[in-house]
Formats: sequence, structure tokens, C-alpha cells
Amino acid sequence: MDTVFDSLLLGFSVALRPDVLWFAFVGCVVGTLVGMLPGIGPLAGISILLPLTFGLDATKAIVMLAGIYYGSQYGGSTTSILLRIPGEAASVMTCIDGNAMAKNGRAGAALCIAAVGSFVAGTFGVIVLTLVAPPLAGFALGFGSPEYTALLVLGLIFLAYMSTTSLTRTLLMAALGLLLGTIGIDMMTGHFRYSFGIAELGDGIGIIPVAVGLFGLGELLATPSRQVTSNVTSPRLRELLPTREEWRQSAMPIARGSVLGFLIGIIPGSAHIISSFISYALERRISRQPEQFGKGAVAGVAGPEAANNAASTGAFVPMLALGLPTGPVIAVLMAALLIHGVPPGPTLINDHPNVFWGFVASMYIGNLMLLLLNLPLVGVFVNLLRIPYAYLYPLIIMFCVIGVYEVNHSIVDVWIMLIFGGVGYALKKFGFDPAPLVLGLVIAPIFEMSLRQSLIMSDGTWTIFLERPIALALLLVSAALLTLSAISMLGRDWRGRLKEAARSE
Amino acid sequence: MDRIDRRNFVVGSAAAAATMATGPVLAQDAYPSRPVTFVNPFPPGGAADVVGRPFATAIEPFLKQPAVIDTKAGAAGAVGAQYVASAKPDGYTLLLHIVSISGFAEVDILFGREPKFTRDSFIPIARFTEGPMALVVNERQPYQTLKDLVDDAKKRPNGILFSSSGLYGALHLPTALFMQAADVQMRHLPTAGGGPALTALLGNNAQVLVSSIAAINAQAKAGKVKALACFSSKRAASMPDVPTMKELGYDIEFSLWVGLFAPKGTPDAVIKRLRADARQAVATPAFGKAIDNLGDVVAYLDQPEFAKFWDVDAKRVESAVRSIGKVAG
Repeated sequence: MDTVFDSLLLGFSVALRPDVLWFAFVGCVVGTLVGMLPGIGPLAGISILLPLTFGLDATKAIVMLAGIYYGSQYGGSTTSILLRIPGEAASVMTCIDGNAMAKNGRAGAALCIAAVGSFVAGTFGVIVLTLVAPPLAGFALGFGSPEYTALLVLGLIFLAYMSTTSLTRTLLMAALGLLLGTIGIDMMTGHFRYSFGIAELGDGIGIIPVAVGLFGLGELLATPSRQVTSNVTSPRLRELLPTREEWRQSAMPIARGSVLGFLIGIIPGSAHIISSFISYALERRISRQPEQFGKGAVAGVAGPEAANNAASTGAFVPMLALGLPTGPVIAVLMAALLIHGVPPGPTLINDHPNVFWGFVASMYIGNLMLLLLNLPLVGVFVNLLRIPYAYLYPLIIMFCVIGVYEVNHSIVDVWIMLIFGGVGYALKKFGFDPAPLVLGLVIAPIFEMSLRQSLIMSDGTWTIFLERPIALALLLVSAALLTLSAISMLGRDWRGRLKEAARSE
Repeated sequence: MDRIDRRNFVVGSAAAAATMATGPVLAQDAYPSRPVTFVNPFPPGGAADVVGRPFATAIEPFLKQPAVIDTKAGAAGAVGAQYVASAKPDGYTLLLHIVSISGFAEVDILFGREPKFTRDSFIPIARFTEGPMALVVNERQPYQTLKDLVDDAKKRPNGILFSSSGLYGALHLPTALFMQAADVQMRHLPTAGGGPALTALLGNNAQVLVSSIAAINAQAKAGKVKALACFSSKRAASMPDVPTMKELGYDIEFSLWVGLFAPKGTPDAVIKRLRADARQAVATPAFGKAIDNLGDVVAYLDQPEFAKFWDVDAKRVESAVRSIGKVAG
């Protein structure tokens, strides 16, 4: 314990140097901007700014680039809440209740809770990172393909709790998402599937264009056919802040989201995207008023936002302790460290304590900076909603198009977004919830890959999922959940049907 | 002080517009007159990206124009390559690519598809770096030498698993060459990239991996993986104790090189200018230091030598693709 404290002291002595502090600040500001602008995600932001760090030392470079990464997780909620455009895949769930809150005139409260939730989760993540990074990293390595497959099965089971519409409709949407997820090159054989000779479809359908189309564009297209009344009239400071009741409702979701997000975040791979989905489903499941979800439930903003921030901090664990990237953004950060002559790997902490502990300490400071940066901005952003729709909506459509194009510089992505905008409109009209579709699309490629990898490892024997303890435990939890929900559903149905039968007689 | 009245404003604007309109015409004989785009066909953090960004920074002062990296990732580097192959050959859209560029056409032929581009679609300009590669095994495996591995692989064909960054990718190809030369069969565990491939090896979910030394050096130093052989012609400076494949009796050579290409039809004058600027950029200390830190080696080849090298290297890649063949499934 003493050594951790000493090391952290060393870290703060590095991180509090004015020049390092300045670069942390620059990173946080850029990150907030990057997170708010749909399309320019942290990946593009970091790789564009990477050459600027060539003249700096390794500590400043990593402090600034990492600031962009976790800063973007704060900013990502802004467009989701105000405009229902998910700036990145992890903010999809924030769109639903965050935007509903904004429509009820609680945009300020939603933004505040998202910022505070992010702060709590980010700080929690850094504390756990400080204390137990090396042993946790060992746990992450135990996560091979079979464990991954089991985790995704669990994720799929949670689907049933995710949607606000009927179970049948939810499963229909999820199945559609899973099917769309099979588009692209078959990783095991190299065959193109459903790509119609379009090379860009070889990598499958991107999550961002689909999410922006379904949530952002679909919502816009549906607006003119409704009576629109804007609830946002010159907000007073008190209305910007969450009420005591709202704080109370968000406290536990933030705590649960932090733990859940961190655990999912440390697993190498792209599973961290599902942390916000699972958190949302969990909150809805244990809420006393599940019917409030989708209509502006505070817990539906607090939980996923916390989960997504904790996951982004958790993702640093395998990088710092093992030198393994958990995802593309971390891979770029690792490349940045490499270029600066600090090879990330198991020996990083011993070889470069200044860099490691300075970086960890800067994350404490960065999270505080982000909170101070984001809270005053809430008032500014809420005013966005006062722009008349006639001007605001064309602007949003422009942002959607530019933003989606920017992700891969691909015109095919723009077409996908436009098509899914139409689909989103239709789904809205027919009362389908698009969120399960997005989750299906997220899960399908990783699920297929890890399932087939597991079967390659076992040479085709399915018992591999039962022989490995972590995988077995996850599958048992899934089975238990499935049984519980089946029993409760059957029970409810029986009673309901009996009553109905009694009434009709 | 003069007030800007409307007439002056109009005259001024018209003059400005005229200058803008004539600008590109005048510039046609002075390449480059606008920013030059270097297309990186891999996701950020990949081999072409980490070499390309220091290179773009280094070449800017010589081009006297901004050097922009444009990421067009997809289909293991095929999307970006195809984009440049069909770009206007004016020297403003160039391609950064790696050893695997030679394999795409061969894979298309294997699947009975019309290749969207071939090696002839590009003019090689320069090779910048060479990343030496090594065959590594998980520390928990008993193999001490390459011979141990080969003996065990002969005993249980398809019993040992190797991971890679993807089918026909830059990590799969050298493994295929090795299996061909040693006449052994191992089971392939394709993953979504170099990072996941290394994760699979470290978690002992795969036992063997061929990787760039840069990516595994830190793990090797920490004793998590053991290098048995390297694929370069000479022993790697960072791993002087690891023998080369040639020393061990296998006639294989393979490296993760990064080079610069222009689309076919780019004017000779433009190519000449780019060759000169690239040579100077590669020689700058800043570029050298960045590459050194990455664990790669600056291995500059100017066009004539690069073209010759590429012909030989492409033969190896094509033979590796054919030896993998079409995967059943």
C-alpha cells in the first residue's frame, strides 16, 4: 500500500508540473470537442494530433492523447441528449432517455447527470487502476475466445430487458441486427458475404452510420408529421440543475455502471461497446418503474454514461500492465508511446515509472478538469434547443452527413446512414425500438468470430465452453436469467389470461 | 485611412477571384502546388500508419506543401489500395502500403474473382523501412528451439495452433512459408489484427505466432514469449541470440516493409520530385529516431532497387498465398 502511495506521489509530482498540466488541459478540451462533433471520434482525433506530439516527451504526449480519449467520452453525451445523434457507438443508449428528458425540458439535468456520472465513473476507474492493475490484467488474459462467446451470450440475454416495446418486437429487431452483422468478409475463409461487389461492404456495416441514421436522421424525418412544441424557454439556472429527486435516482445507477463498465473495459477486444447497453438493460430490469424507461428515466442516462466512462478507463489496464491493445484507440495510444521510445509492455511500470505514474495521476486531474469544463457548458448547450427547428434540423442533417463521412472517409457509409434514416422513420411509425437492432449489429461480428475461434481451438468440440471456468460461470448466469424471466413471464401470462377469461365470461 | 467603399470592394474581390481561378493553371508545371495526400489503407496504429505519420511530418519541409494522411481502411488494406489505383494520377494521391500489397490480386485469382487492381496499377516510389519478423511461442510451451517445434508439429499435424492478424495477412503469409518449408501443418486461428493475435498467444489460446519484432519485443524481454527464429537475412539487432531461418536450414526471408506508391500514369517529373523528397525525408534524424523507437529499421530503397526488390518479394507472397490456398468452410 505504501509503495502505491509513494508511486502515486511521484506521479502527481509529474502531473502537476505546469507544462504537463497544460497538455492535459489541451487534451481534455480537444477530447470534449471531438466527442461532441458526431463522426470525428477519438480515433481520428488522436491520430490527427499524433504528429504534433513528436516534439514532446513521452509523458506529455501520452497525457494529452489520453485526455482526448477519455475527454471524448464526456462530450459524446451532449449531442445524444440534445439532438439524439449518437456521437459514437457507446452513446446510443444515452440517446433514448437523455433525449426524452430534453423533450420534457430537463436537458440541463440530463447533461449535468451525464457529466457527474462520467466523473464518478472515471475517477473510480482510475482508483481501481492504481490499486490493482497488474492482477486485473492477468484476469483479462484469461479471457480467450470461449469466455468472450459466453459473455456475448449473456449480452444477448439482456436484450430482453433492453427495449421499451414488447418482447416479440425486441427480438425481431435484434434478429434483424444480427443478420445485418453477418454482412462482410468471412474472417475464416475470405469469402465475401452479401457485399454485392462493393469493397467497402467487405468490412461489414458500420455501427456509427446505422446508429446515426436510425436515431438521428430517423427522428428528424418523423418530426414534421408531429405537432412540435418546444419546451425549452430561456432556462433559469435552477432548471438547469438536477433536482434532489433526480440525484437520488441516479446515485445507484452511477455506482453500478462504474463497476460494470470497468470490468467489461479491461477485457481485450471490442466488448466495451456493450457496457452501456448492458448497464441500460440492468437498470431497467431492477428499476421499480421500468415503464419510465424510454420516457426520460434518469437512471437510463446515469447508468450507461457511467458504464461507458468506466469502460474507457478500464481499457487502459491491459495496455499499461501487459502492452496489449483493447481496441483501436488504445492501439494508437500504444503506437504513440512506441514512437516516443517507451515500449508499452509488462515492464513499463518498472522501466518508466515517471511515464506510468505521471499518466495515472494526470487522469485524476483530467477527470476533474473535464467536470469543471463540462458543467458550465451545459447552460450554453441547452440554448442550442432554442434555435427554431426550421434552422436547427437542416444543420443537424448536415452534421450527420459530414460526421458519418469523416469516420472512414467513405461515401458508402453516408448511403448506409441515409438508408437507415428511412428505416428509422418507418420503425418509429410502426412502433419498433431501434436500440436492439444496434446491439445485434454490434454483437454479431464479435460473437461469430469468437464462437468460430473457440471451435477452431477445440477442433470442433462444443464442450470447450463447459471446460473453462469463466465461460462456464457466464453461461450459468445466462441460463439462470433465462429461466427466471421465462418463469416470471409464464406466471404473469397465466394470471393475466385467467383474469381475461374470467372477465369475458 | 481609406474607407472601403463598395466599388473598391467589388474590384478587389474580382481581382482575388481572378487570382484564384488562374492559380491552378499556373501551378501545373510546379508540382506540388497544393497539399499532397498519403492514403493509409490500415486502421490507425497499423504498420503503415505508425511509419507514415513520422514520414509525412518529415517530408513536409521538402514538399513545401502540407502532407496529409488520409485513412481509408478496409478489407485488410484492399480498400485504400483500390482507391489510390483508381485516383487521378497527378501525384496528389499517393499510397502507403506494406508487404501484403502483393497478395491481393493472387487472392482474387484464387477465388475466381476479377482482380480490382494488380501490382501493375502502381508505380513504386521508395521503400522506407523494414520490420524484422520473428516466430515466437508462448512461454508455457516446452519448445526451446525451432527444431523442438517442428518435431512436435510433425508428430501431431494440425495439433498446434498459430494465431495471425487475419487470413492472407502480413502475419499469416510468413507462417505459411515456414510451414511449407518445414513441411508441417498447424491450425490457423485468425483474429482481427496484430493486437488480438498477440493476446491469443499470451493467453495461451494459441501457441505460435509470427509477428514483427517491434510488436513482441517488450513481451520477449519480460519473458512472456520466446523467440525461436527470425525471418530476416541477418540476425536482428534487437535479438542477437535468435537465429535466422536461413541459419536453421529453411530458405525463407520475409519482412514487414513499408513503401510509397503512386497510381499508374503519374507523370515522370512528379515521380522524380517525390523520389528526391522521399530520400531526403527518410534521411532526417527525426524520422530515423521515430523508426528506431518503433523497433523497425530504416531500409531505404530508391525506385530502381525497390522495383527489383518488389518483384522478388511479390513472388514469395504469391507463393505463400497459393500454399494457403482456399480455406474450406
